Amino acid sequence: MASVSYESQRSRFARQAIAPSLLFLVLVAGLPTLFLIITSLTPGALVNPGSLTDFSDPFRNYTLLLSDERFKGSLWVQARLSLYTVTLQVLIGTSMALLVHAGQGRWQSLRHLFVIPMVLPPIVVAVIWKLIYTPDISPIYHAAKAMGIVLPSLTTHVDFALWAIVIADTWEWAPFTFLMVLASLQTLPTEYVEAARMDGADSLGVFWHIVLPYIAPVLLVCTLFRVIDSIKAFPLIFLLTGGGPGSVTEVTNYYAYLVAFNFGELGYSSAITVVLLSLTVLISWAAMRASRTTQSIE
Amino acid sequence: MKKHIIFWAVPLLLILMLTPFLWLLQMSFKPTPLILEFPPQLIFTPTLEHYVGLWKDGFPESFVNSLITSTASTALALLLGIPAAYALSRWSGRGKFGLGLGILLTRMAPPIAFTIPFFLAYRWLGLLDTRTGLILIYMTFNLPLVIWMMQPFFDAVPASLEEAALMDGAGFPTVFAEIVMPVASAGIAATAILCFLYAWNDFFFALILTRTDARTAPVAVVNFMNYEGWEWGKIAAGGSLVMAPVLAFSLLVRRYLVSGLTAGAVKG
Amino acid sequence: MTPNLTPKPLSRRTLLKQAAGVTAGASLGMPAIAQSKPFAGLKLRGAAYQHGFFNHLRKYIPEFEAATGMTVDLQLSAFPVYNQQADLELSSGGSSWDFCNVTFILAARWISAGLLTNLDDFTGDRKLTPASWNPDDFVKGAQVPYTDKDGKTFGYSWEGGAMLMGISRMDLMKKRGLSVPKTFDDLMKVADGIHGQQDVTGFVSSNLHHWFLPPYIHGFGGDIFASPPNDIRPTLDSSAAVQAVDYYSRLLSKYSPQGVLGYTEDQARAALIGGRSNIFIHSSSWVTSMLTSPDSKVKETALVTRMPTGPRGDFPASNSQGLGIPKNAKNKEAAWAFIQWALSPELSARIVKDTGHASICRRSIIESAEYKRLNTINGQDIGKLYLDVLQQPAVGRNYMAYRTVKEFPLMGDVVNKAVERVVSGQMPAAESMRVAQEAALSSLRRSGAKV
Repeated sequence: MASVSYESQRSRFARQAIAPSLLFLVLVAGLPTLFLIITSLTPGALVNPGSLTDFSDPFRNYTLLLSDERFKGSLWVQARLSLYTVTLQVLIGTSMALLVHAGQGRWQSLRHLFVIPMVLPPIVVAVIWKLIYTPDISPIYHAAKAMGIVLPSLTTHVDFALWAIVIADTWEWAPFTFLMVLASLQTLPTEYVEAARMDGADSLGVFWHIVLPYIAPVLLVCTLFRVIDSIKAFPLIFLLTGGGPGSVTEVTNYYAYLVAFNFGELGYSSAITVVLLSLTVLISWAAMRASRTTQSIE
Repeated sequence: MKKHIIFWAVPLLLILMLTPFLWLLQMSFKPTPLILEFPPQLIFTPTLEHYVGLWKDGFPESFVNSLITSTASTALALLLGIPAAYALSRWSGRGKFGLGLGILLTRMAPPIAFTIPFFLAYRWLGLLDTRTGLILIYMTFNLPLVIWMMQPFFDAVPASLEEAALMDGAGFPTVFAEIVMPVASAGIAATAILCFLYAWNDFFFALILTRTDARTAPVAVVNFMNYEGWEWGKIAAGGSLVMAPVLAFSLLVRRYLVSGLTAGAVKG
Repeated sequence: MTPNLTPKPLSRRTLLKQAAGVTAGASLGMPAIAQSKPFAGLKLRGAAYQHGFFNHLRKYIPEFEAATGMTVDLQLSAFPVYNQQADLELSSGGSSWDFCNVTFILAARWISAGLLTNLDDFTGDRKLTPASWNPDDFVKGAQVPYTDKDGKTFGYSWEGGAMLMGISRMDLMKKRGLSVPKTFDDLMKVADGIHGQQDVTGFVSSNLHHWFLPPYIHGFGGDIFASPPNDIRPTLDSSAAVQAVDYYSRLLSKYSPQGVLGYTEDQARAALIGGRSNIFIHSSSWVTSMLTSPDSKVKETALVTRMPTGPRGDFPASNSQGLGIPKNAKNKEAAWAFIQWALSPELSARIVKDTGHASICRRSIIESAEYKRLNTINGQDIGKLYLDVLQQPAVGRNYMAYRTVKEFPLMGDVVNKAVERVVSGQMPAAESMRVAQEAALSSLRRSGAKV
């Protein structure tokens, strides 16, 4: 029948159409990942020729990782950073979305301006916040001094350095949650809200029983995506704290970078990166499952 | 009353949120002696001296590098990715989830996972500090982005449209080029701009894989941060220049931003 | 048609140009027997970090290009960016640079890994280097990082970093009845006495603790390694090291500006020459800017002198930055021509005279009357101080040997973190150094050192 032959025609075209991309991705993403794993089995260091093909002790790096306090510390820093920044982003982003949604259609066009922090090049965001956090030149510090308050230097303070990063990161990415939740809110049928109000629910009740369950799937996807992205945190730490003071802002990604490109130990850094990558795979898998569920609900 | 507060809260919030960014922008036009002054003067005669100074300092080369690498990687990603997105959209077999996951992972992996093997490979191939080298590694996130973003657009093209043309005797490539693509053209524009944005904003790959020849604008800005004299005016101007293109473009494609940023997982 | 074989008559202009080329070459310290424009058409590529010296050098490069016919492409990057890129470039055996800066902290690593070209081949060849260039003219202390165990030289220093103490507010010191500190105890007392007066902090430093801390470790009787360069067992948890960290950290946490842990050298210098901090102990070029910089507000109240002595001796740090040729450079002879020119006695003397940049490393120039005249400011003989400190490691025990250990970059990082922990209040000195010692041991072992 005609439709069957169209099917087979379509399938053949599809296979041809996807082949170059798949090939390219295997070359550009698949092979490098394989190389990464292979390199992690060597004590590869740039200054030691031959070390990159030395497989005499393949699990040496992973064994060393188990006893590497700095590595374990970095995982802990990463966990705290992700927890704080994602929580804050989602809370603030959602609040902003609720606010704009409640402001009626008037401010709809402005919502695109909220986007600005997250499309800026991340290194420019880092420059902006470096300005804000450097006591000598920051208007905030000067203002505080004028009022007689001596603000501590956040990025060199053991208790506040991580929060300094969290604040900058939240500023940069809260618009992400904002956009997603706002988009979802705009599809919320108004009849639900009206019905609830007629039943005597106040604003809080409406939010808790109607709005929140409705945007919950979007919040979930949002959170998962932001957690994945928070693992990649680099420019802020690079420019604002360098992992310090000490190692309080040294996340695993940054530690891997130092080991690879400041110490030249590519083998050991590959092992650290493999661990990081495995974490990312796990979370990405969860994110995809969640977003599939979201889409099937819609 | 409450309605009024909520009403005006939005623009106020916007201004508050944008203050850091606006601060950088205004600093780039401020004459040097005024920059560190407190209380800061908000009304002043703007000057272009920092931008001019940047232009003389080798910044234009890095700007050109950014332009070339972003444009080329976008073009390449579109070339390969659009047919692939179509294929994925029409895929009826098993393995769609697995394939999708693989593609998503490529976008989600921390850059260092690719930088280490690419660094070693480029060292051997002589591609370190070349624009080609950057363009290739940018494909690790641009190609998956194109596939993810374009797929829903192709999903929206009904098969019946294709079948009508096929019945008229057209071959599949023709159907694809003349029937399907025009319908999805809005998506292509948005995807292109998002690819450009991601390539332009990259910092890590350029930091490690370039030295001076292929250095891109975001990395060049960092050079100013350590220079003797801490030329804040130039730093602000550099930052402002680096963000100008992506800012302009993203305001153009604001409708598709959410979709693009979540790799298509959520529609904007 | 027979070709026209009559040679073009030599025009007077061509003759003059050639003569000028030869004499220009001679005045630049190049062998007079060299043909003019020996490197015509060659593009020389080099890299270094952003430093005033290279800005000065750039003004003279056109002369060099005119004399040799080559074009010089000198790329400058920020200090940490340059170091990382240079380390990666050299470790990968790259050949994109013909000459490069050999940063002191990485010199040992590069030399022991054979990543640099032996320059003795060039200095010994009279066709390439005239005897007047005299490699022995470079102050020994400044050349130590660039020589290997067998005495071969892999770099020549363009900048000497002799650690001196800069006091910016002698007026405040006088008012408080404080004299120039001569011992560690004195220093702490003076910092305490000035801190808070007229919004001035007693001390200032920058985030290069691996450079600032060792003099205190040595002063209290310890060292970074047990007996560098042979016995490289780290000794970071020795009582002397702990004492030093405790001392130095107190200077930073109690008497330095807010956020000093994040200060770059440039920020520290700005604080010094702006009169907002009283004491800064760093390489001479950083502290003498109190007297020489147009932005300095403290010209009349500044004093440059030797840093205080510790209970176990006087060990001011001394380092240098040098120029070298990567092993796989494509144009080694041309690179040597450039380095030779840039560090020639003639050009160094001109740079000192024209720009006031004084931290060059040629003894003959430092001891010259002209240098003395230029570098005696407000009655202070900066040149003598500079030379004394620069050559100190070569005079007695070489206490700077720790820097010739190729694993020093790892140790430097460990030391930085250790100091940061103490200054930010995360741990007391003893515990922080214990952690540092463990980190150093595992780091060294992982890189293959036998400790």
